[in-house]
Amino acid sequence: MSEVLARGRELRSRNRTRLTRPRTYVWIAGVVLLLALPFYLDRFWLQAGLFAMAAAIGAIGLNLLTGATGQLSMGHAFFLAIGAYGYCVFAGDGEGGLTGLGLPTWIAAALAVGVAGIAGGLFSPIAGRLQGAYLGIATLALIFIGQHVLFNAHDLTGGSNGRDVPPLSVFGITFDDSELVVAAVPFGASEKLWYAGLVLLFGCGLFARGVLRGRPGRAMNAIRDHRIAAGVIGVPVARYRAGVFVLSSMYAGLAGVLLALVFQRTVPDYFGITLSLEYLAMIVIGGLGSVAGAVAGAAVVSLLPQLLTRYSDALPLVSAPGTGGITPGEASRYLYGAAVVAVVLFLPGGLASIAARRSRPKSGHTPGEEQ
Amino acid sequence: MSSRKSKRVTATATALAALLAVAGCSSKTGDGEGDKEDAGGIKTGVGVSAKTIDLGVLTDMTGVYATLGKSVTQAQQLYVKQINADGGICGRKLKLTVRDHGYDPQKAVAAYTELEPEVLGFAQFIGSPFVAAVKQRVDTNKGLVLPQAWSSNLLGSSYVRVIGSTYDLETINAIDFLMKEKGLKKGDKLGHVYFEGDYGESALKGSQYMAKKSGLTVVEQKIKATDNDMTAQVAALKKAGVKGVVISAGPRQAASLVGVAAAGKFDVPIIGNNSAFSPQLLGTQAGPALAKNYYVASPTLPIGADTEAAKKLVADYKKAYPEDSLDNGVTAGWTAASVFGEALKRACESKDLTRAGVDKALLTIDAYDNGFGVPQNFTDPKAPSSKESVILRPDKGVTGGMKVVEKPFTATAAEGYTAGG
Repeated sequence: MSEVLARGRELRSRNRTRLTRPRTYVWIAGVVLLLALPFYLDRFWLQAGLFAMAAAIGAIGLNLLTGATGQLSMGHAFFLAIGAYGYCVFAGDGEGGLTGLGLPTWIAAALAVGVAGIAGGLFSPIAGRLQGAYLGIATLALIFIGQHVLFNAHDLTGGSNGRDVPPLSVFGITFDDSELVVAAVPFGASEKLWYAGLVLLFGCGLFARGVLRGRPGRAMNAIRDHRIAAGVIGVPVARYRAGVFVLSSMYAGLAGVLLALVFQRTVPDYFGITLSLEYLAMIVIGGLGSVAGAVAGAAVVSLLPQLLTRYSDALPLVSAPGTGGITPGEASRYLYGAAVVAVVLFLPGGLASIAARRSRPKSGHTPGEEQ
Repeated sequence: MSSRKSKRVTATATALAALLAVAGCSSKTGDGEGDKEDAGGIKTGVGVSAKTIDLGVLTDMTGVYATLGKSVTQAQQLYVKQINADGGICGRKLKLTVRDHGYDPQKAVAAYTELEPEVLGFAQFIGSPFVAAVKQRVDTNKGLVLPQAWSSNLLGSSYVRVIGSTYDLETINAIDFLMKEKGLKKGDKLGHVYFEGDYGESALKGSQYMAKKSGLTVVEQKIKATDNDMTAQVAALKKAGVKGVVISAGPRQAASLVGVAAAGKFDVPIIGNNSAFSPQLLGTQAGPALAKNYYVASPTLPIGADTEAAKKLVADYKKAYPEDSLDNGVTAGWTAASVFGEALKRACESKDLTRAGVDKALLTIDAYDNGFGVPQNFTDPKAPSSKESVILRPDKGVTGGMKVVEKPFTATAAEGYTAGG
């Protein structure tokens, strides 16, 4: 009884403190900053940011699967490809001998995510039964099958040269390069997509947070930590595993759609094993099992190479391409590898654990709580 | 509490209002750089200042085309150095900004986005899928792109111009050579080993077209870029009884194919596209077999050609990069840079150094020869700049490892060929 009262008091006080906590203001400032960026940054930065947002959505999905449920997947790139190409097929107008259904683009985007989910569902009999590294090996097969199909199913994928991505169009706004002037700033594709990306990322983040903090999240963590114990306390292990796999494929599909929209062209080379490994690196660097970690990791992994290439002229030890020595491309790979090793050695919880460590002594949250 | 809250609301509202006001001061407002006219009456635009002309180079020095990318880029840097030493073009120095994308689509597109607002055009862009990815944008911003890729899929834009014959035309010329000189005749079977992807499939279009025209049957063998052992392919082609083989793959695959065929006494002429050879192969075990039975079709004379320009380039390149080998990339890079330079010179003559001016100047170039034997014609955006090929064969004694066996020619079948059909 007294426990319930105490909890109620705590809740009320938490609501009150929410306005006085500095964290709230950091959030507000962050959101305002993100909303304002398209007015100032040029296309390169916006595009880099969009790549990071798409990667973040995909990484959140993978983190649900690998971080929270402990199921290793090497096939994430396959589902990204399904999202990207699915969108092109549903939205394309069938020109140039490529299959295109000519659906309204927002329906196409939703269908592409659905198809990625269905593909995940088809794989779920396997995903539900295998665990850990075994699932990793099984999903590896998806990459090879996917690459073969992407290169050879010409009518659907356009073969090695890929196919054009029709611009998204929602509520009468078309997300292409036709200029729209807002507050005297011309808005092209990147500026408009920036907001679409933010909305999608925010929605995906919230949803995943809800899943992780609720009953399913606890069940998933239980499966990760001790599969048999989870089964004994009544968690339907196979069903949960299969379900998480489908959910994570849908996240990947959405990330694929967003990526395709940013690229304006889908290219099969992109959806290879390297991409899958990059996504795994993102969640390791960011922190396994948390939404914030996935976002942070995605930002680091997708921005680092682009920054290094851009500022290669000014960096020490990195020489201009063509003069011998370490080129920026190589340098970013070294750094990237070093980052993974450093995180595993010194920050086993990933970047997200820095934030958690700082807030823990003050608010007294239990360490298990993640966001 | 409530007064504090309202204060906060006011603060937030003020911040938002201030933000919108500040947005007005953003450097992105207005259209920024318009076309200007300098003191000499020369119109300039993006990428051209009073002292420099900025050109972009999107290359691959760490990915699958690393060796090609390095040679091409160094040759272009050499060209720029020499032009600048002679006083530049239009009183302006050329400046190359190099970005290495490592054959990664994300980096390639990002690098294009970064450089596009700052440069007049691109003297190099490796990777035809990436060129295709930005093609729509190139068509709107009109900045000239000279891709280092010879796929027929890239034709058709006024601002993306392929230099030299495309792979399909090259393959037609190569088969024509086999028929004229190497005893391949109507009714024979012809083997074609090709890479999955743009390059191989482009070449396959050529061999299929030629087969239809000349009554040959093509025996296709599709391989992946990671397949290095051609034993299975040789066995299959031998079984099918082919009388000649075309290979549209990399140098390693060509070496394996020729070596395995020679070891198995499978004595048919083998010809490759220009990417299917590198001088380093001659030092390997397959060297003698290559020298005996292998030919290469190329869009220009080789680096070791007996012309003044080639000899000068060899000497200069060796001086600038003594440790690096001379290969096709050097010629290709040099040619692309000098075509861009020629377009700039002509644009300068008509006092228009804007992107539109350069595009217009390029369209007037109808027979430009920089000393590699093949005149380039840029007047038709739908066609590659030449339909000619040169047939080479490996020779250890020559610079660059290749000597000419057949001077530049166009097969009669290639004359009537268009990439679309």
